Amino acid sequence: MPDHPIIEFRDVSYAVAGTLVLSGLKFEVQPGETLVLLGRSGSGKTTTLKLINRLLSPTSGEVRIKGVPNTQLDLVALRRSIGYVIQEVGLFPHYTVERNIALVPWIMKWPEDRIRLRVKELMQLTGLIPELASRYPHQLSGGQRQRVGVARALAADPEILLMDEPFGALDPLTRNELQQEFLSLQRKLRKTIVLVTHDLREALRLGSRIALMETGRLVAALAPQEFLHSADPAASAYVRAFGDGLGTTLDRSAS
Amino acid sequence: MNFFHFMAQNHQQVLELTLEHLWLVGLSTLFAAMIGIPLGIAIAHRPRLDKPVLAGANIIQTIPSLALFGFLLPLPWLGERADRLAILALTLYALLPIIRNTYTGIRGVDAAVLEAGRGMGMTDSQLLFQVELPLSISMILSGVRTAVVISVGLATIAAAIGAGGLGEFIFRGLAMVDNRVILAGAVPAALLALLADFSIGWLEKRLQPR
Amino acid sequence: MNLLRKTVCGLIVIATALVIPSCAPSRADRIVIGSKNFTESLILGELFAQQIESHTRLKVERRFYLAGTYICQQAILAGRVDLYPEYTGTALTAILKEPANSDKGTVYQRVKSEYERRFRLTLGPSLGFNDTFAMEIRGEDARRLNLKTLSQAAAFAARWHAGFGYEFMERPDGYRGLAATYGLHFAEPPRVMDLGLLARALQNHQIDLAAGNATDGLIPALDLFALEDDKHYFPPYEAVPVIRMQTMQEHPEISQLITDLAGKISDEEMQRLNYAVDGQHRDAKDVVHEFLRSKMLTY
Repeated sequence: MPDHPIIEFRDVSYAVAGTLVLSGLKFEVQPGETLVLLGRSGSGKTTTLKLINRLLSPTSGEVRIKGVPNTQLDLVALRRSIGYVIQEVGLFPHYTVERNIALVPWIMKWPEDRIRLRVKELMQLTGLIPELASRYPHQLSGGQRQRVGVARALAADPEILLMDEPFGALDPLTRNELQQEFLSLQRKLRKTIVLVTHDLREALRLGSRIALMETGRLVAALAPQEFLHSADPAASAYVRAFGDGLGTTLDRSAS
Repeated sequence: MNFFHFMAQNHQQVLELTLEHLWLVGLSTLFAAMIGIPLGIAIAHRPRLDKPVLAGANIIQTIPSLALFGFLLPLPWLGERADRLAILALTLYALLPIIRNTYTGIRGVDAAVLEAGRGMGMTDSQLLFQVELPLSISMILSGVRTAVVISVGLATIAAAIGAGGLGEFIFRGLAMVDNRVILAGAVPAALLALLADFSIGWLEKRLQPR
Repeated sequence: MNLLRKTVCGLIVIATALVIPSCAPSRADRIVIGSKNFTESLILGELFAQQIESHTRLKVERRFYLAGTYICQQAILAGRVDLYPEYTGTALTAILKEPANSDKGTVYQRVKSEYERRFRLTLGPSLGFNDTFAMEIRGEDARRLNLKTLSQAAAFAARWHAGFGYEFMERPDGYRGLAATYGLHFAEPPRVMDLGLLARALQNHQIDLAAGNATDGLIPALDLFALEDDKHYFPPYEAVPVIRMQTMQEHPEISQLITDLAGKISDEEMQRLNYAVDGQHRDAKDVVHEFLRSKMLTY
């Protein structure tokens, strides 16, 4: 059973240009779990995510990775050990799929054959047919692009994966497909994942725990089943906003 | 003796003046690129500096070229040799298109791409050389192309202060009231400009990011 | 990525290829002769050109019609030109920027030593004539008012209009010093005109005094009179070849050829040569060739 949390937020606040965006954030992420940061736009969930890989620095408080404050870790090494997936994907348009996936191993100077093998492995893992290896991002569909994004994030085999609304830009059918594959991937790899979304259905389906955020504060952190039936005003308001049929979402979920 | 005859008869001098012209244009464009591209990158990354730098380059552009040649004449070391002076002036004129295009190119790189790169642990210099520059090279080259074409034209005026080049034919032809001589300078200069425009343009297209 | 690297390398190669050949002119068998853009300078340039052409195997390239003293100086300093005809007075005041001096020998020596020291250029011997500035008036006025010198003419300046070329107006050894020396005050500030138009303007009574040259071909042709510089304001303007010292070293045979021309052209002879080209519209090449034959310097 997990002893130390792999990610820890200790009383973290973040302000920019005099405005407080996050205040008093305190929570832990256990190894192997999928923590979903759920909330409406402006609730501070993306900001929270970016504090983990130090794309942003807290105004006060500490973010610890495996017990060490992340300010004490070498910035570049930290980021290379954490996978990062964003909604727009951000593939390098001038790199082939293969080179895009191989990015982190390449900058970490892995030997070429090891890289090639790893890319093949990842493409298989993320459901990308081998022919796509030499294609360019503009030749791919939205769903294919995000698969490449995920493969890229997993390339150096990081323990932690950060995902910011990874499926938000996709059509519902593709989104459904990718969510399904996400679940099977997670079962296989057992990474620690922090995933940001505003979609309760997605949260219920993918998360092992849901952390609800509102105006920069963590309001509730519950397992999906508990969340659905929670008496907490914020949580129940969210549930109501999403309407019926959420129960079936749970049946297809992770935990 | 018509124009073509004249060119054939004097081909040695046409070639010599063309090489002088290329020297003026080539060196000044090289200097302008060495200064302008890093400067363009710097202001693209530091938004507070962009207005003053671009405004400064713009002001230089508005000075009439012959006047600029004249201003620079009294300077020590530079003013003593017309070709040094001409190269300085041509470099200054080439700065604006190069700085501006570098700036626009780098700013135009998709923010999501940069965020993804940074988030995955690329250093600033890795981002610059692996992502920003390759994605803006086409735009930067376009700035270089503009600079070269402008320089070829301006270098003809440099002959007025003794820097040599194809402009010498033009001024000589004016003094002799001989059109063939004027054309012997004007036609190669125009051809040079067209050639540069075409070849650099071709390169731009080849390097266009998808 | 590979294409980018190749492109950058390619561009560097091209840039180098463009720049390198322009730096090292192969002058093994070539001499470039320059001249300014007025008739006399052209004739002298052609003179040196033909002298060298007919007595050596060297290929002579002519870069004539360079627009002024400064441009010629720049060209020879940069090595684009190996030799060009200059005037000692001009070299002294306009290039060395030293005060004028009326002694021929002093001026020549000073210019030669300074040119050798500062510019690695040397001077050949004088061709003989003194092309000093000539203040020209109409012959009829000279006879009517019985004028021979500038001092005499100064008395009439207030009623006259003057016309000068651009360089004369601006040069330190030009109008300013002249006006100060002779106390010249004209009816209005002198008009700046193109050199070629001065003679005609004088004829048409648009101006009454023009700064011409002592060797102007038009002086006898248009019945103009050159006033004597009795106060010796103008420095001597002996015509000399300015040559790059490196050229002299590479082609020592030139030295004798240039010395052969020393003192061969008198003031009157220069006037006649100028007139042949300006007034009679003959080709400078033919005129020079004829002249060289007459002096038995060529066949």
